[in-house]
Amino acid sequence: MIMNQPETGDAVEKLLREQNQYVNDDGFTARVVAALPRRRRSWLRQIVLLGAAAIGSILAVQWLPWGSLLSLDSSALLSLSFQVLVPWMTMTVVVISIAWAVVAALQWDE
Amino acid sequence: MTDADLIARVLTQDDQNAFAELVRRYQSPVRAFLARMTRGDAHLADDLAQETFVKAWKKLHTYRGGSKFSTWLFGIAVNEFRNVARQRKELALEEIDEVASEENQSAADTRSQLHLDLTEAMKRLHSGERAAVVLCCQNGLTHEEAAQAMDCPLGTVKTNVARGKEKLKRWLLGYHDYEPA
Repeated sequence: MIMNQPETGDAVEKLLREQNQYVNDDGFTARVVAALPRRRRSWLRQIVLLGAAAIGSILAVQWLPWGSLLSLDSSALLSLSFQVLVPWMTMTVVVISIAWAVVAALQWDE
Repeated sequence: MTDADLIARVLTQDDQNAFAELVRRYQSPVRAFLARMTRGDAHLADDLAQETFVKAWKKLHTYRGGSKFSTWLFGIAVNEFRNVARQRKELALEEIDEVASEENQSAADTRSQLHLDLTEAMKRLHSGERAAVVLCCQNGLTHEEAAQAMDCPLGTVKTNVARGKEKLKRWLLGYHDYEPA
């Protein structure tokens, strides 16, 4: 390789720039494009999650027996009565699921 | 069409042709940079470059336009190299010990060392120096841009560029001073 004699740091820099040759594509771009994954649409996911949360909320308000829940005092908890605990657990799961969907939709960032 | 126009088309329309144009514009500097970083392993460099662009496609929505697109792209390339260098010992090997090589080499070794050309000299640099020199001196990034791409302090980049250039100067001058018998 023939090189000009570098006498200073700037000469080295010049040499580096001179040797910075263009790399031919040779099908590289086509290979990259072929390897691209399908882009997930984050806004679509957000809409689906928020929609599911909204529908879940409406159904929960309409169908869950909010008015007939037995009071959850310490004696009821200690008795481990299914009649008391199961409706409360159902309510809790529904509320947590809806809240989870809302948080996931708002925090989603691919 | 500017980079910003192409990026907007990718983000709003998932336009692969627009992204392909971005790849065409930057494939040469990215592949050349990674070839330097992998000490001339063109196959590995191309694999890393491909992964760089695929990551860019996936993460394009996080590009805020605060820096040049090329700087952002080099940042991904640097990370890709670091990830593979952690797994491959030959890439993790740092600079060859100059003192040992200068004191102990035979005449044939001396001749071999003096015949270093730029490519060989670059391979001997510490990877941080090599990255800083290639980004700043070959690709025209400012020290600030290189620091951003390499995710390291500005002072480190300045030091690496200065040290790298000094070593290259010394090694390449040795080559020119050599008089064959």
